[in-house]
Formats: sequence, structure tokens, C-alpha cells
Amino acid sequence: MEIRSGDEKTFRHVYDENFSVMMKIAYHITYNTDVAEDICQDAFIRFYDKNMYFPSSDDAKFWLIRVTKNLAINYVKRKAREAASIEKIKKAPVSGNPFSDGASELLLHESRQAVRKAVAELPEIFRTVIVLREYGDLDYKQIAKVLNISESNVKVRVHRARKELEVLLGREDVDVS
Amino acid sequence: MCLDDQILNTYVDGELEEPWKSQVEEHLSYCNSCRKRCESLKELSERVKDAALSQSEIDTRKDRVMSVLEKNYLNKKKGLFRNRIFKFTFPQMAIGTAAAFVIVFVGSFALGSRSGKSDIIPVPEIGYTVDINNITPVRASDNATTAKSLESYSLDEILKNLDARGYDVDIRLKSIQPVTFEPVVETTTTDVEPAEVVDPVEPVVEPVVEPVVE
Repeated sequence: MEIRSGDEKTFRHVYDENFSVMMKIAYHITYNTDVAEDICQDAFIRFYDKNMYFPSSDDAKFWLIRVTKNLAINYVKRKAREAASIEKIKKAPVSGNPFSDGASELLLHESRQAVRKAVAELPEIFRTVIVLREYGDLDYKQIAKVLNISESNVKVRVHRARKELEVLLGREDVDVS
Repeated sequence: MCLDDQILNTYVDGELEEPWKSQVEEHLSYCNSCRKRCESLKELSERVKDAALSQSEIDTRKDRVMSVLEKNYLNKKKGLFRNRIFKFTFPQMAIGTAAAFVIVFVGSFALGSRSGKSDIIPVPEIGYTVDINNITPVRASDNATTAKSLESYSLDEILKNLDARGYDVDIRLKSIQPVTFEPVVETTTTDVEPAEVVDPVEPVVEPVVEPVVE
């Protein structure tokens, strides 16, 4: 399906299809829901304003994800320059009430926090790959397209990112217990 | 020989193609350590996925962003001036240029003919009603010859004038005894002074001639 990004009907369709993925990607790079929301909005404004042509809805999706990812990375870089961002992630509240279901919820909440902190600590090239894979739900081929790298490169990065995550989460588990 | 993590990760992500996929599965069927490793990598992936932003959070943001976009972009007619591309065909451009010339030419002619008649700069006129009775003609030369400042009169003239108007003027000098003025008309000041000033130095001595009485 061909996409003309300035067409309102098409735009609404693309928006419905991709907002969740973009929000997740923006959030898991910045770990700030308000910032992620702004980034998504910004990306869609650019998308609509430029009135671009895409040969398929996938191409439009990849464009949006690429813009979202770049905006989020830019934000993180700027933020890192300003202050120690990891400290803020530690304190940032998790969406929803984490304690509604008692102890198991609490454990899940702690586990989520640990994962988010670990992802935030990954170097940029690994973080992007993991976020696109686990939260963007993209396959290797799509990730390669978004990042403009080879598939085998994606494979290697995913492997290394998980290795690093294991280390970070293992350290976290030791810290907690 | 056991499988390395990269192959297992690729397998976990469902990215391993045949025939390697079958080979890996075969290996996993009998190798406990690789199966365990594979399980832990799967768990890790699941754990990371579980930390995803909640759908309810996403949905509220989704509605909010859409309302912003609708308000500022979608409901506005497409094609802001800056985005609009203007295309002209040759005849359109020719007609447009000709029209511009005509406007400029006619405009300059109209202005030129008007300013040619006189050198007066055209000023917008203001209409108002005038009552002829309220107009008092005033000329700057009216009092020019007669108007003098007070300094141009001598003291004499001033006093004369005041006297003629019936004023009785008394002039004193500081720290000097009062001087009385006779009407200026009769005498000049130089004549009056010796006659009028009573000499204070000469005391009036009353003769004391009393004893003779008895």
C-alpha cells in the first residue's frame, strides 16, 4: 500500500498502526514518558508536514521509527551532557500503581526497574538494537534497515547487548539480595 | 561441540534459517548445558520484554497526541502558504507581466499629471464649519512699531505716564532717607532737590530768653 504522509486519512491509519511501537521505542531509550510522548508527537508532525511518498506502509513505519530513535538518542545525549541521567531513572516512578496486587506485583515492579536501569546503562549501539528488537518488535532484517547496517551486524550487536545485559542484571540481582 | 551464544540468540529470536535451525534443535535435544543456556537467554529476552511500557499508558498518550495533531494540523486546510508550490504556464506569466506594466504605467501617469500642475504637496483636506463672527483678524505687525519693552522708557517717562493716569508714585532708594516728590510736571529733579531738602544739620535753636520777665 502506497503512502502519502500528508494525506489525512492515510496519516490516521499510519498513526494507529505505529504509535505504540514508537512510544515504546522512545520510552525505552529515554525512560521518560513525557519526553517519549513529545518525541512521538514531533515525529508525526514531521511525517505529516513533509508530505512524503512511501512505496509501502513498512517504509513509512521504518521512517517513523528511525526518526523516533534519532530524536530519543539525541535527547539522551543532551541529557547525559547535562546531568547523571541514571540517577533520575532510578527515582522515576513506573507507570501505573505497582503495588496494587501485593507482593508479586512488587517483585515484578522491582524486576522491571532493574531491567530498565540495565537497558539505560547499555552503550548506545547495543541499547538501540535491544530496544528495536524487544520493544519495537522488529526482526533482524528490519532493524538492519532502520539502522542502515547489515543483518550480520545486527546479529552480533544483539548477542553482545544481551551479554552485557546479563552482566548488568546479574550485578543488580546481587545488589538487591 | 556445543553452540555459542550468538547462534543461540539468533535461534531464540527465531532468526536462524534452515538447515542450521534443525541442527541446533537436534543438538538441544541431547545437550543439557546448551538447553539450559538457551532457556536462560530466552528468559532474559522475556524479562526485558516484560519491562515494556504499559499499554494503558501508551493509550492515554496516543489519544492526547492525536488531539494535539488534530487541533494544530489535521483540521487545518492542507497547504500553508509556505508549502504551496506555485506553477505558472507561459501565457499566464505573460499576461501577469503585462498587467503589472499597465498598472505601473497608469499609476505613474495619474500621479505625474497631478503633481505637474503645481508644486504644492498634496495634503489631505479636513472639512470643518466656520462661523465668520468668531474670526478675529490678527496681524503680527499690529503692535510691532508701538510695542516696546519697559526698559526702553526712562524713569521720567514712566513716572509721567503714571502721573497722567492719576497714580501717586512713591519711590525710595534702599538705606537712604525717603524723598518726597513734587509733581514732576512743574520742575525737573535737579531744580527741586536743593529747594526741597530740609537741611538736617542746621538745628533749629530756640532762643532761651526767659529771665527778663521778673
